[in-house]
Amino acid sequence: MRLPALLIACCLLGAGCAIPTDPDGTLDRVRGGVMRVGMTEADPWAQMSDGRRSGVEVELVQRFAAGLDARIEWTDGSEEELFEELDEGRLDLVIGGITGRSPWKTKGAFTRPYATILSDQGKKEKHVMAARLGENDFLTELDFFLQRREGEIGERLEREGELRAQQSGAP
Amino acid sequence: MNEAARHFEMPSDKMAIHRKAVRLEKVTLAYFATAVAVVFAVLGSSQALKAAWIEDLLAFLPPIAFLIAARVRTREPDARFPWGYHRAVSIGYLFAALGLLLLGAYILLESAMKLATAEHPSIGAIELFGQPLWLGWLMLAALAYTGLPPVWLGRRKLVYAAELHDKVLYADAEMNKADWMTAGAAALGIVGIGVGLWWADSVAALIISVSIVRDGWKNMKAATGDLMDERATRYDSNEPHPLIEEMRSLLAGLPWIDEARVRVREQGHVLQVEAFVKPADGSCTLEHLDDARQRLMDLDWKVHDVVLAPVKVLPGEHGEAHD
Repeated sequence: MRLPALLIACCLLGAGCAIPTDPDGTLDRVRGGVMRVGMTEADPWAQMSDGRRSGVEVELVQRFAAGLDARIEWTDGSEEELFEELDEGRLDLVIGGITGRSPWKTKGAFTRPYATILSDQGKKEKHVMAARLGENDFLTELDFFLQRREGEIGERLEREGELRAQQSGAP
Repeated sequence: MNEAARHFEMPSDKMAIHRKAVRLEKVTLAYFATAVAVVFAVLGSSQALKAAWIEDLLAFLPPIAFLIAARVRTREPDARFPWGYHRAVSIGYLFAALGLLLLGAYILLESAMKLATAEHPSIGAIELFGQPLWLGWLMLAALAYTGLPPVWLGRRKLVYAAELHDKVLYADAEMNKADWMTAGAAALGIVGIGVGLWWADSVAALIISVSIVRDGWKNMKAATGDLMDERATRYDSNEPHPLIEEMRSLLAGLPWIDEARVRVREQGHVLQVEAFVKPADGSCTLEHLDDARQRLMDLDWKVHDVVLAPVKVLPGEHGEAHD
């Protein structure tokens, strides 16, 4: 009874306020350094035209990186390639219209949903990003960042949705 | 209905305890319903938390078995079930134990696999009341809620189990009592993840699952033994029931009896007794037999169904099962 309590106390003291910690130190490395982001094209979340990246998620990642004083190193590929690299630790983050129902759940740590929209089939899609498994400090930082902007993202998606509806309604 | 299997089962003081036990099991069900909901709400990718959650789910089985058995067991013997329905309790016990064993094995395998493939558990954060909060802290709070109250429940049930000679209740009490260890191990796993030790979680889950498997195995053995008509044991299945020897020496002590042997099996709460007696001068009267049977029944409320057979040679002397 006394030993576990002692262990917990030591862990807490030793780690100070640094709970959670990244086993591989992702957040420390990214801060003021390089954030390696994998991207699959998915309209309207992440797009690429003429060498320029745009979309809701691209902007979010850019702002997140700016907050950490980090430069982004982009990698393009299919979801399968990107999640494989994420799992092996060669990427820090994967984006591109990933939802909570993605089959890649075991290869990446999904953030909590930061936007929920209705798909064309009328199903609820919960949009997430995927960090590397177990890098909980980095994941937590990203979660905080996204949740603080949940309202803002929702409003923006609504505006874009209306715009789109107008366009398709008046050809 | 034969007179040997009297309908009246427990003395009134035991009935009062049984009613308390029924109430306690209902409280247990209500409590675990909330506990399961609370842990499910914070269930992330922590293996240890999942193990603790499954153990909480399993905690439903013994109370349900107990409550069902409590309704069925007092039905009177009929043409189809001449020994009555007491064994409903033993069957409930077997199901509870099997569930324990299977799920323990499942968690054991899954945790070992996760450890072997070095899967890093991920726990993110949520915003609570405008404050960012790491989910791990919520998990620890949930574990405290599921780990502490069952210890009290278990202690109470242990007392009732001994009074009522009830093995389902005993298995349930043991499980509840072990709950703080499960919650503690899971908490260590979460703290481990927090400080960056990804393996701590799976190791904690492994430890929990080993304890679940051990509980399951022990109870399976006891439950199968009951259904195999194992010689009656005490409520904790650790030693032969003391009444067996008491009954034998009571019979052997009667002046008209030369030697006696008893076979006792359990029918849920109560004992079913077959006694063989060798009359001293080779014969006995019905009055003798009736008197001996009454003395056995008066020993303890658990002595419920007694068959007394005068014999020339005791069955055990030919290598048959005895006492």
